[in-house]
Amino acid sequence: MVPPAASPALQPAGLERLLAEVINPGLCVACGACLGLCPHLIFLDGQVAAPDACGLTSGRCYGFCPLAQRDIPRESQGPIGPVLGAWQGRATAKDLEGRVQYGGVVSELLALALDQSMVREAVVTAAGLRGTPQGIRVTERTGVLGAAGSVYAGGGALSSLNQALAEDSKHPLAVVGLPCQVQAVQAMKAHPQQPQAAQRIHLVIGLFCTMNLPWRGLRGLLARHGVQAPLSRADFPPPPAGIFQAWSNGGYHELPLDQVRALSYPGCAGCPDLTSEGADLSVGACEGKPGWNTILARTHAGAGLLELAAGKGLLELEPTQPASMEHLTQAASAKRKRAAAWSEERRHG
Amino acid sequence: MADVSKLTPGQKVLMQGNEAIARGALEAGVSLAAAYPGNPSSEILQTLADSARSAGIYVEWSTNEKVALESAAAASYAGLRGMASMKQNGVNVAQDFICNLTISGTKGGLVLVTCDDPSGVSSTNEQDARFIARVACLPLLEPATPAECLKMTKLAFELSEEIGNLVVLRGLARLSHTRAGVTPGPLPESKRQPHWDPKERWFTIPVVPRHQVMLDKLAQAGELMTAAGVNYYDGPVRPELLVIASGSSRLYADEARRLVKATERVGILHMGATWPLDQELILEHLARADKILFAEEVDPHLESGVKSIYAQHVRELGLKDFYGQETGHKPPTGELSPSRVAAALADILGLSWQEADPAYLAKAKAAQALVAPRQVGFCPGCPHRASYWSIKQVLSADGREGIVSGDIGCYTMGVLPTGYQRVNAVHCMGSGPGIASGLGKLRSQGFDQPVISVVGDSTFFHAALPALVNARWNNSDYVLVVLDNSATAMTGFQPHPGTGATAMGQAGTVVDVEQICAGLGLPYTVLDPYDLEATQEALYDALQIGGGLRVLIFRRACALVQNKQGGHPWRMSVDPELCRGEECGCDRFCTRVFRCPGLVFDQATGKTVLDEVVCVGCGVCAQICPAGAIKARPKEATA
Repeated sequence: MVPPAASPALQPAGLERLLAEVINPGLCVACGACLGLCPHLIFLDGQVAAPDACGLTSGRCYGFCPLAQRDIPRESQGPIGPVLGAWQGRATAKDLEGRVQYGGVVSELLALALDQSMVREAVVTAAGLRGTPQGIRVTERTGVLGAAGSVYAGGGALSSLNQALAEDSKHPLAVVGLPCQVQAVQAMKAHPQQPQAAQRIHLVIGLFCTMNLPWRGLRGLLARHGVQAPLSRADFPPPPAGIFQAWSNGGYHELPLDQVRALSYPGCAGCPDLTSEGADLSVGACEGKPGWNTILARTHAGAGLLELAAGKGLLELEPTQPASMEHLTQAASAKRKRAAAWSEERRHG
Repeated sequence: MADVSKLTPGQKVLMQGNEAIARGALEAGVSLAAAYPGNPSSEILQTLADSARSAGIYVEWSTNEKVALESAAAASYAGLRGMASMKQNGVNVAQDFICNLTISGTKGGLVLVTCDDPSGVSSTNEQDARFIARVACLPLLEPATPAECLKMTKLAFELSEEIGNLVVLRGLARLSHTRAGVTPGPLPESKRQPHWDPKERWFTIPVVPRHQVMLDKLAQAGELMTAAGVNYYDGPVRPELLVIASGSSRLYADEARRLVKATERVGILHMGATWPLDQELILEHLARADKILFAEEVDPHLESGVKSIYAQHVRELGLKDFYGQETGHKPPTGELSPSRVAAALADILGLSWQEADPAYLAKAKAAQALVAPRQVGFCPGCPHRASYWSIKQVLSADGREGIVSGDIGCYTMGVLPTGYQRVNAVHCMGSGPGIASGLGKLRSQGFDQPVISVVGDSTFFHAALPALVNARWNNSDYVLVVLDNSATAMTGFQPHPGTGATAMGQAGTVVDVEQICAGLGLPYTVLDPYDLEATQEALYDALQIGGGLRVLIFRRACALVQNKQGGHPWRMSVDPELCRGEECGCDRFCTRVFRCPGLVFDQATGKTVLDEVVCVGCGVCAQICPAGAIKARPKEATA
């Protein structure tokens, strides 16, 4: 989505170019797609860095990066991408309450996919020991619930996916990610040097996202407001709330939205994707219905999993409200326009 | 080193220049010798330390050169003879004391030995420490051979006691470590009883009259040195070219005139006493030659001194041609050599001379190309490699363009590829924390880069403490990393306050880095730099905290010390099946980036292999291999 700084055809597509176009200009959103592939890219405290020159002229790090090479999706797909079915729903299990984001649909669907052996392992984002979000690999419901809830900070979770794909295993994998991460997974699946990605990634659950925060900046802001990491969960309630909500061991906290928004990754401004258009299922907040999710089934695999969950009584589903879908579409369209304008501005300096 | 007190007087033996200085000191009856280690001077004190018990004297490694000279001066005031030895940098450290001592004067013979290091082979500079003789008006002796080292050391003590002031003896790296025949003399039969007469007081006021006394002492020293016969002429009565030389350059000049086959045309004025200059002798020889060349290392000390004398006597001497640094016949930098002097002689005398047969030189050049280029680097298993690796990784991840203020020791090599070029500045002992202290006070003016000061354990005690107190006092914001390898490693594993051992092998008191930090109110954490993850986590956290000086102690004994103490715990191996070699984005990560000499890239297989002769088994590389190909197994399990 971000045009390269100079003519792409003449430049090798490796770490140096990734540094020049994404990392050094501060556009990296810490999706983790470049991590776990080689020892040259490291991730510490929510930030990607490359201490040494890697010496190779091409690499998957560049090939996977969603900031390096994305085209804006064609308008014909519609602002929210391909949709087989749209629902609003929530998990019925009581053990999810207070731990999950909105309706707990992502956690329940993922747990079900693992339980049914549709996938044997899933990559999700969870807070590390010191609160830093990071990718973890889970194999059962308990692990899924341990990672439930979002703190809205980049955790480089796809590093774990790369590590899983590098292992000499064949079992199917699931991944939960933000739109940027879903874009990266699409690139992985299409990359000639990563055939195992298409073979093994059987389920991609995408999240709705308007922006994400760098962990270092968020931690600093929290500290200034007297909130100690780690957070168990965070949220941006819909307008006109004007606040950022955070839950930690110390309880519930509210931070001014403008201060939080000012922290967001500069790279997020160029993202045209609100709803993770390349996922099997996309899940986000449900407007006007707190405690519920909006769910977009995009592929038959995704729709099948959703149907199975509903059939087992794990999810309570309703058709989406037209007004809600209209607002979602408007928001997605606005995000595309903002991204296009941002890209245009960068292109022309 | 050998116990040189047990040598048989009159029996010629092979001795290093430094050993001969030590023997000379013993023959002169030295009672207290002190030094801070520093190449090329270190063997002097070690030899004395190893001779101390049988000689019945006190020898110590001091915390720094100034303290060493002050300790030696104490012996002088108690009526004994004292000596402090140091490398050229140490003279700077001691200079403040020297410039006051020379006014207050001395009682028992007191000698300062400086071993200069032209070309800076084992130094951060190639400073000519003879400046101190001029600045502090001190007699200066410059031996050229180990035999002269012995003789002039004895002379230096006698001279000092005669005039009541410090005397400087200047060695050079080549002289310090060269071996030649030396005939020891007898050791003193009796010992002096130390006593400071309370009526004797040593201070510098009133300054002006005492300054005059100091000058008078220097003049007296000049007369005594002339009488001692340490300056002499060797050559034709009226040479076509007179070479005025000192130190090792006297030997180079002698060899050079033979190389260019001009022994009948070139005379050499050997200057053993180079401050004050023997004006009468110099005028006598200037009168006999029209062309004068200076041969000395490094500064034009003789050149400027002789020209100054000439300027006062130009009417009687007539016009002369002087050749030296100003004419390009003596290089202004680097060591002198016989060939360099020969080239100068040939040029001045109009001779054709070449260093060697061109055909031979061509072959030598071709052979040189066969030698694999080697860089100076940390030893296999050196904890500094691991420390700098972590510093590099963390500063990169931190992303705020952190600065590393370096210091003096093996870890100075952090400026080189072996330390990932992660050090931004290195000057002198203790300047790292001082510079860091200043940087850490620029926050209010917008300096937002994190600052790390790396300092070795010996340097910590030598000169870092005042800078740390300064930083603590003024609330400077930086991270001090003490690279504690439990030795003064670069100079030969001398003990230091943190080890608690002493020069004479007796147990001293361990001065604890942690207790000093605690006493200064500094938060500190002790880490094992071999544990990369824990080290990097702690360093990263320390950088984020900000707001004051905080200390991380990276403690792991020098790899060579560990080898002496039973070796490292691991037996390493590389699994060729797992090694990614040049593929998968690794691109020879261990051999190209980490660069421990224990790992070698095998061109034939395209994989890394372990050099089992070189690898010591520190286990660090197993932590950086992305493929888990490098394995570390406990040695016991594989024995």
